[in-house]
Amino acid sequence: MRRLPAAVVALALVGCEGVVLDDPASPGRATTASYEPGPAVLPRLTTRQYHRSVEDLLGGPVPESAVEADTTPFLFASIGAGSTTLSARGAQQLEEAAHVAADAVFADEARRVALVGCTPASADDPCARAFVARFLRRAFRRPIEHDELERWTTLARAETDPWRGLASLVAGVLQSPSFVYRVELGEPDPTRPGWSRLHRHELASRLAFVLWGRIPDDALLDAAERGVLDTHEGLRHEARRLLDDERARETVRAFFREYLGLSALDALDRDPTLFPSFTPALGRSMRGEIERLVEHVVFEQDGDFRAIFDSPVTFVDAPLAALYELPITLEDADEEGFVRVTLPAEGVRAGLLTTAGFLAAQAHPNLTSPTRRGKFVRERLLCQLVADPPQDVELDLGEAEDDDGRPRTLRERLAVHRENPACATCHAQIDPIGLGMEDFDAIGAHRTLEAGRAIDARGDLDALAFEGARELGELMRHDGRVPACVTRQLFRHAIGRLEEERERRAIEELTERFAESGFRFRELLFALVTSEAFRTVRTTEEEAR
Amino acid sequence: MKLSRRAMLRGALGGAVCTMGLPLLDAMLDTHGTAHADGTSLPKRFAVFFWANGLPWHGAHGHGRPDHWTPSTIGAGWSATPLLSPFAGIEPTIDVITGLEPHTEIPGDPPGQGDGHMRGCAVALTSDRPRSEGFHHPDHVFAFNRATIDQVIAAHPDFAGRSILGTQPRFRSIELAVSPARFHDYGHWNAISHRGPDMLNLPMRSARELFAHLFGVPADTAVLGRRASVLDVVADDARALRRRLGGRDRERLDAHLEHVGEIQTRLRAGVAACTTPAMPGESSGDLIAELEAQTRLLALAMSCDLTRVASMMLTSPATTHVFRDAGVAGGMHQVVHDGDWDATYRVTQRQMQALRVFLDVLASVPDHDGGTLLDSMVVYATSEYGEGTTHSNREHPVILAGGARGALARGIHAREPGGNLAKVHVTILRALGIDTPSYGFHGAETSEAVPGLLA
Repeated sequence: MRRLPAAVVALALVGCEGVVLDDPASPGRATTASYEPGPAVLPRLTTRQYHRSVEDLLGGPVPESAVEADTTPFLFASIGAGSTTLSARGAQQLEEAAHVAADAVFADEARRVALVGCTPASADDPCARAFVARFLRRAFRRPIEHDELERWTTLARAETDPWRGLASLVAGVLQSPSFVYRVELGEPDPTRPGWSRLHRHELASRLAFVLWGRIPDDALLDAAERGVLDTHEGLRHEARRLLDDERARETVRAFFREYLGLSALDALDRDPTLFPSFTPALGRSMRGEIERLVEHVVFEQDGDFRAIFDSPVTFVDAPLAALYELPITLEDADEEGFVRVTLPAEGVRAGLLTTAGFLAAQAHPNLTSPTRRGKFVRERLLCQLVADPPQDVELDLGEAEDDDGRPRTLRERLAVHRENPACATCHAQIDPIGLGMEDFDAIGAHRTLEAGRAIDARGDLDALAFEGARELGELMRHDGRVPACVTRQLFRHAIGRLEEERERRAIEELTERFAESGFRFRELLFALVTSEAFRTVRTTEEEAR
Repeated sequence: MKLSRRAMLRGALGGAVCTMGLPLLDAMLDTHGTAHADGTSLPKRFAVFFWANGLPWHGAHGHGRPDHWTPSTIGAGWSATPLLSPFAGIEPTIDVITGLEPHTEIPGDPPGQGDGHMRGCAVALTSDRPRSEGFHHPDHVFAFNRATIDQVIAAHPDFAGRSILGTQPRFRSIELAVSPARFHDYGHWNAISHRGPDMLNLPMRSARELFAHLFGVPADTAVLGRRASVLDVVADDARALRRRLGGRDRERLDAHLEHVGEIQTRLRAGVAACTTPAMPGESSGDLIAELEAQTRLLALAMSCDLTRVASMMLTSPATTHVFRDAGVAGGMHQVVHDGDWDATYRVTQRQMQALRVFLDVLASVPDHDGGTLLDSMVVYATSEYGEGTTHSNREHPVILAGGARGALARGIHAREPGGNLAKVHVTILRALGIDTPSYGFHGAETSEAVPGLLA
């Protein structure tokens, strides 16, 4: 196997001259600074977290109302949830959604009795009071004070019909900031100035949202209140319980959907004259394949995460099998029509970079884009920065045909990028990667010809030559920058903001733990949620006073 | 005459009819029908119309292509050029402003600040550059540094303070978008209306969603009263939480609290005094048909004072929208960058046809004073840069429509090569009666309006 140079490219960036540089806090940059906690954020629940939590609180599905769409700065909804402010319409949507959900449950006699646990005679009978206390504690994920209980109970008292009163209370709680925001302030650590430790219930809440994408269950809240999470063993035990639960799968899937940009596949648009077989449903099949591939590696195999780059196993439904020219029988298909297949050992496909989903999402409606494919590898998989084009530069790729009237290949046309000095320094870092995948068209079908000319699919990555997406996948599999990069992205996803310089040490340690585990992604998650960085925040000035 | 205005009004467009009742009784107008009986003026309205990827490049950009945009004469009496041909016949009501460009400084660090999509969109809508620390190129995060002009107007006391019959509009502003295509689905690319930094007003994307927002309120006022009371406790809870938070989080919660107060006011005011129109059908996917359906509802909402400020994002910055109906096979961003001038030309002309439909719908609705809804408005139509292929902000395109009840001169072509784009904002704000000594930020500050446009 080819070996990568130990030194990682790390150039200065001046305009577009030095071109690829490591993102700050990137792998490859040695650091001696010790870990210091970063600031607390006040995330709103993401749309997924909101809907799952409402379901959990109300004991089952409710009519799903629209709530304000997530923004995903720096790839992740969790970062948008901690940085953007709810809009006026967003507040109105929360108000409406809360009443729709509460009304749906309280209009159904069986459901309201199941939720409340008894039939209340008034807002102040023991039955109603017990329900309110229990409901508030779960919704707000913390102990409830007497004043607070009283305040909310006034809503129930305002109605002569106790059911109607409780419905109002539930609708209020579901739009209350104590439910909609996650408070993670911690309390100052007397032994370490500037450090705060999350309160036990804040930690329980963070664990549940990061691992399950929803509010904690009663078992976790009870454990937190008993002090279980205060001990190393207790925290590890609860983290392991959550991680082993089915609900962790959905969260991992959501992380990869955001990290790899898979939602773009839901709205894929291809030129029907060039790709008559393409339908929007095929785009969704492509997303399904990548999600299953990741779940297979992370959960079924619980093995080396890097296998997503060279896995011979993948998952296809009938339309994808046709695209890949794979014979399949649908007898063993899952509920969405996917079957597990082992790709031919000598074939052109294995791993993420050979999936139609990656190849198509990083292409245009009517042609491939070596630039986009190369940028994805640099930016997403290696966590490097590529400068954007300078202003006022001519971007015309030139004539589609050569002097003899023969169609020019995209490789030939893109040569402009490497000949024009204004473009060359940047494109020399991205195009050679993407050009090595030119044997796959804009819907990810394999091809040997482009406009009647033989495809040249030779590429190179930092002076390592490869040919075709499958060989590039092998390079990725053995590139130390890849696991370091995914660790950083997972950290951002979990913490809900970009890391600070002083947090780099924590990410490096996590990367080391990841490697020690044999790159098992579940072990990375486990290491993350039990790490000091997960449990601490910087003390705010207000608290320090 | 007065009776017919007060009765059902019918505005016909393309054979379809929208019917509405007016909340404002003509008896409460003065004898000329141009102001309230107490002498306060009738409301003005404002809308942004945004299209993507600028214009096809031409001689003024230094590429030797013919200029099919800029009218050949300056001042009143311009006539439509090929790209402006959708406005043929209504030139006397449209102002075209050419030659301007952003005067905001571009910081060198972090890299990418000069990128036209980002900077051009921010500058056209705020007269400021994007927030440098909110800019991250690999992930294409893009953060506005301040409120966009629609939100500045909506919140300004000189504007928001005016009322009909003593009530405020139910909605401070309405945000709309037509094309679902996005260069990046990161949220920050999906909103051209911002209340402040990281305060996005994400647009509604369909006429149905807009219908539900405007009219989907239960008529049962007992229910509304109960919902308003629930919000008392929600607000108490927010205030209790607020005491525990630090500065920036407190601001976010304050905004939330303010929204809760607005919802409460709306609930207590009861249902709108607007005739509810028919629910629109599902979108056919046709860009202009969807635009028209949304604009009809918007016009109704403005006519019965549900709102006075709106933004319409036909296509989002750097859109990947495929204009197959204009004979273009690739996504717009791609064909512009590939240097496909013909495709860029056709796509731009299609977007101007859409703007014409937007204006026609607004002009088809009668206003209380006998003019049209459009006559009461300023419509500010613009894009994120002068020309897309080289990411250039020079020759930034601007169209102003609507007369702002006589405050804005119409039918003018104003031209000032290299002039400050912020002058357009000064012009709009002054036309709407907002006291504006100067506008613009980070090098774009100016006290001048575009000459000849303020009547």
